[in-house]
Amino acid sequence: MVSCIAHNIISPLGEGSQANYEAVRAGRSGLRLYTDRFEDVEPFCASLFDTPQEFVPLCIRSVEEAVAQYTCSDLLHRSDTIFILSTTKGDQLDLLTPAQRIARHFGNPNPPVVVSNACTSGVCAQITAMRLLEAGLYKHAVVVGCDIQTKFIVSGFQAFKALSPEPCLPFSPDRKGLNLGEAAATVVYSSNPSAFSGQTLWTLAAGSIHNDANHISAPSRTGDGAFLCLQDVTEGVQKEAISLIGVHGTATPYNDAMETVALERAGLQDIPILALKPFFGHTMGAAGVLETILCAMQAQNGQPAQDRTVHVIKMLSGFGGVNAAIRMEIGN
Amino acid sequence: MITPTSVVLDGKVVEVQQTGDKMLVELYRRFAGDYPKFFKMDTLCRLGFIAAEILLKHSAAGVQPSAVILANRSASIKNDTDYLATIRDGDYYPSPALFVYTLPNIVTGEIAIRHHIQGETAFYILDTPEELEPLIHSTLSAQPSAFSTVLAGWTECSAPNEFYAKLQLIWNN
Amino acid sequence: MEQLIEQLKNQIIEALNFEDMTPADIETDAPLFGEGLGLDSIDALELIMLLDREYGIKLADPKAGKAIFASVRTMAEYIQANRTK
Repeated sequence: MVSCIAHNIISPLGEGSQANYEAVRAGRSGLRLYTDRFEDVEPFCASLFDTPQEFVPLCIRSVEEAVAQYTCSDLLHRSDTIFILSTTKGDQLDLLTPAQRIARHFGNPNPPVVVSNACTSGVCAQITAMRLLEAGLYKHAVVVGCDIQTKFIVSGFQAFKALSPEPCLPFSPDRKGLNLGEAAATVVYSSNPSAFSGQTLWTLAAGSIHNDANHISAPSRTGDGAFLCLQDVTEGVQKEAISLIGVHGTATPYNDAMETVALERAGLQDIPILALKPFFGHTMGAAGVLETILCAMQAQNGQPAQDRTVHVIKMLSGFGGVNAAIRMEIGN
Repeated sequence: MITPTSVVLDGKVVEVQQTGDKMLVELYRRFAGDYPKFFKMDTLCRLGFIAAEILLKHSAAGVQPSAVILANRSASIKNDTDYLATIRDGDYYPSPALFVYTLPNIVTGEIAIRHHIQGETAFYILDTPEELEPLIHSTLSAQPSAFSTVLAGWTECSAPNEFYAKLQLIWNN
Repeated sequence: MEQLIEQLKNQIIEALNFEDMTPADIETDAPLFGEGLGLDSIDALELIMLLDREYGIKLADPKAGKAIFASVRTMAEYIQANRTK
């Protein structure tokens, strides 16, 4: 069994998972209009840190806060702990060196793994963690997701005409496109939670990755990959026991339509969905981790007593035709 | 296995006339030739695409990999550099066609599209090819039925005419 | 106009990586999308960038591109009417 024993979020909305959760509950969004953050780039709406952050220190801070809050810092330097970094553009286009610096900072002896599967990286990294732990290759995994917005990324999405000049509206008929964002988020998974704080915040029960095999930048109109992922992770689970689904919800015309089709094909259209990008923007490599944490916290908040298990699904899609989903179990 | 000057398939050398990027085009014309999208691809994708094409054509007829799992050390740095040239301060014309290739996992997408693979596609950034083994192993053991045949390997491209690919078809018994 | 059309065909070939093609291979009035050259959504965006870079035309709405990019001729006519370079 793979248990989450610690987590953390650092975003423009605040420091710590709880602060971010409360900000979302209070309806506060990090989205602002930026007119001259980067040279030549047209004005864009995004959620960015007031003080530009450096990639590696930001990741380190997120890990430190996670393990401090949940009293498990001892696991960081162990040889049965693996560091997994989820990012799309790393530290100024270098993806591996930042991961090595983070792992080395905590005295971890193992070569870190970087998952770079476009916008699905954060969920894929958690699936990688789950598999490594279930195969007994490691006992603990520190999964960090992070991306910092740069002229490189913003210009590219503008070239794709994928950005909305206003705060995004996922699943709305008036949606005009996505907003970008930056953040760092950490989850720590363990197959031996009692060795540390003992608290299991949620169990990672299933994960699935599927390619649409359709187009490298547009999702399949029939939501093939997303549907197959949903089908995989909900196998054997009663739909009534699924309390919410964290969607990708980028608010582009095609993505949200595709997700709707996939959800309907999987028979999940009546389950409440949670779309977090109006609060954080699209945080790329951090999205899968950050949004998973908040979906789990939301489901836990709705649990009056721990008398039954509820399931939470998080799904994402990304460039390259890739789709991913995980299912978490909360409660008994 | 493909380097800028040589191609080796199952231990046997495949004769080529060209080197570097031109060699990849030569291989395309010889082993594929029916996929004009090849010319839109960046070097990393061409490398992975043609390596997969040669390997799959050579393998048992009709073999359909259920997953494509690749890794490298340099991500998409060569194409990132090409894209950067289109967003220079004051000379700013960001190219969407280049931007889409500034993610290393796109090569897995191109292979999936070509061979109709709706299974898993994944890309890892690692220090050495050996580090891919535990990732493959843990993937195969997670769901043996879903991963009967996996196309896996290392596709590295760090600069123009500097690339290296080593792909394998792994049968999960 | 003929000179613009020829220049445009060369630019399209280069921008969209049509390695094996020459301007003679592109019919001036044939559809660019769908059949004909079979361009896709990324190609459309690349053509929008081409209009800006080579001819100083900024297209705010990609949907307007459908009519403009119907064929090389419609593209050339639009450029002729709107170029600032």
